[in-house]
Amino acid sequence: MKDERRQTVLPSTSQRKILYILGAVNVIIMAALAFLSPTFLTYANFTAVLKRMSELAMLAIAETVVFISGGFDLSVGAIMALSGALCGKLYVAGLPFSLVIILSLSSGMIVGALNAFLVVALNLQPFIVTLATMTIVRSIVYSLLKGIVLADFPERFLNLNYVYIFKIPLLFLIVVATAMLVTIMLRKTIIGQRIFAVGADEHTAFISGIYVNRIKYLVYCLSGFMCALGGLLFTIRIRAIMPDAGINAPLEVITAVLIGGTAITGGRGSVLGSLLGVFAMFLLLNGFNLLGLNPFWNVIIVGVILIYVVGQESIVGFIRAWVIR
Amino acid sequence: MNHFKNFTSERSHEHLEISNSKSDTASNILIGLQRLFKIRELPILLYVIGMIGVFSLIIEGFLALQNFEIMSRQISTIGIVSIGMTLIILSGGIDLSVGAILSFAINIGGLGIVHGWPIWVVYPFMLLLGVCLGWINGFLITRLNVHALIITLATMNIYRGIIMIITEGKYITPIPNYYSFLGSGFIPFIILVLILGVFIFITLCTPFGRNLFAIGSNEKSAIYSGLPVQQHKMIVYVISGFLSALAGMILVGKSGFIQPQAGIGYELNAIAAVVIGGTSIFGGSGSVLGTFLGSLLIGLILAGLTMLAVNPYWIGLITGMFIIIAIAVDSLRLFRKYRR
Repeated sequence: MKDERRQTVLPSTSQRKILYILGAVNVIIMAALAFLSPTFLTYANFTAVLKRMSELAMLAIAETVVFISGGFDLSVGAIMALSGALCGKLYVAGLPFSLVIILSLSSGMIVGALNAFLVVALNLQPFIVTLATMTIVRSIVYSLLKGIVLADFPERFLNLNYVYIFKIPLLFLIVVATAMLVTIMLRKTIIGQRIFAVGADEHTAFISGIYVNRIKYLVYCLSGFMCALGGLLFTIRIRAIMPDAGINAPLEVITAVLIGGTAITGGRGSVLGSLLGVFAMFLLLNGFNLLGLNPFWNVIIVGVILIYVVGQESIVGFIRAWVIR
Repeated sequence: MNHFKNFTSERSHEHLEISNSKSDTASNILIGLQRLFKIRELPILLYVIGMIGVFSLIIEGFLALQNFEIMSRQISTIGIVSIGMTLIILSGGIDLSVGAILSFAINIGGLGIVHGWPIWVVYPFMLLLGVCLGWINGFLITRLNVHALIITLATMNIYRGIIMIITEGKYITPIPNYYSFLGSGFIPFIILVLILGVFIFITLCTPFGRNLFAIGSNEKSAIYSGLPVQQHKMIVYVISGFLSALAGMILVGKSGFIQPQAGIGYELNAIAAVVIGGTSIFGGSGSVLGTFLGSLLIGLILAGLTMLAVNPYWIGLITGMFIIIAIAVDSLRLFRKYRR
């Protein structure tokens, strides 16, 4: 998007500061909830929160990579629903299940590639392109499922929900593994550096000999793949797939990613921050449920946190000026 | 993206030149008329006419007055919201909270109906709510200097949360009969056309409107040329809030009840109408008339497909494709001009 105060790649100290703040916020929320509600610190509740956040965390990782490359992806929720719906439909059609998984994961990559094609080849704005593909994919999902909830999945697949490794739910471990892989890719490999470079300044990256278009294809395909994986996680967790799955996901995911300190202008951000952002949102949601408060307070608080995080410098400046006067 | 920005800023030099020239009203209006009939909206107008032609050939009774009345009612709410959105996008911003503002205005204003307030208090109250929420958006965007997308994303969540907490998810029904006046017959469409006329005049013939183009195409140079950028941005968001509330009032008149979920998805539909109407998403170029035609086109397609008994699940697919085709045509035209 347009931003006149386009920020260059900031030194990692400010990035770390955001992570510390977010970590502290999470700890404070946890401490407050542990104090207020006796059930909060139980093992069952904690694993429930981790499971619940898994698919949204997956989408947040995908969105983070896209944001870092300077792009934008509104189609995450629709891709998530598409992969779940395809998975169910193809299984019902009688294909072997391993093939079904591969096909539904590649469906996400295909949509990602379509996004990238429209962004790169036709030189369109990612916000509008993914808005359009979101509508298109969602309508495909509707016509696949015809408005019904599909719960026909092999038992072995659904039972992954109850697999725990070292008492940590497998669903969450998949998210952690993906996050680590993506972080390594972003921080340690040349591809990651190029993604950052493209996001920070596309023109400079182009002049420095980076194949900007290839990087964009890679980023959107990767995002599509991870969203499709998120769709499978969702299916496992819910034990069904419905046409409206992830309909609010884009906004929630973008909120979490921005809270995590990733810049909407690209070139700056971290996967860990996004995960912490998602975690904070789900902790709040869980807390409001446990305390029996209206869950919509959660939405308001997330909004306020978002405004505070992005406008931090200005707000602190205002307060300081006000106090001094 | 940088290349693309160059295209748009080059394209909108005309606006800058015009906004620099000092004004007497007559020549302003003349320039405005010239701009109005420039080629920009012609393709989409042809699309609209072609679409009407095709549908009237295929569908029996498409040209009936009754049918147009129904369609005009469907188009008008989203059209009014889109006009506000056009001004914002022209000035280089974006507003994701229009649907939330619409819902907030009618739901909180609807509490007045529950308490038995007279209609001449309730309507201004709703509009006032819209203006206030738009002002909050504008205030946060200009003072915190954060991109509009983020701020309105946050305020959308906040407004929707407040609605749900205050109304506790309850519908407000029944509504007294006289509220349905705004949503009956051709009245919504007439309101839409009036607003369209006002904003065509504002964007083409007033300094404020032309400054919006300058701000949208290059905010920095607008600041350096001494334009009151912050003030203009605030005004734009206030206008959008006002129009959203107005659209909400029409929606109440049409549907006869008030629900907390009103206006969900309006933001994306409005953006779609604006973009199909040829306004650049980067700001600085576009027109209100184009947006009107864009929302007309979407409305026509939806109505036509419904009458053709096309499976409603495919409507999203077709709208999405139209968005892509519309922006692709625009982009290809520019691309040929500025090929590297």
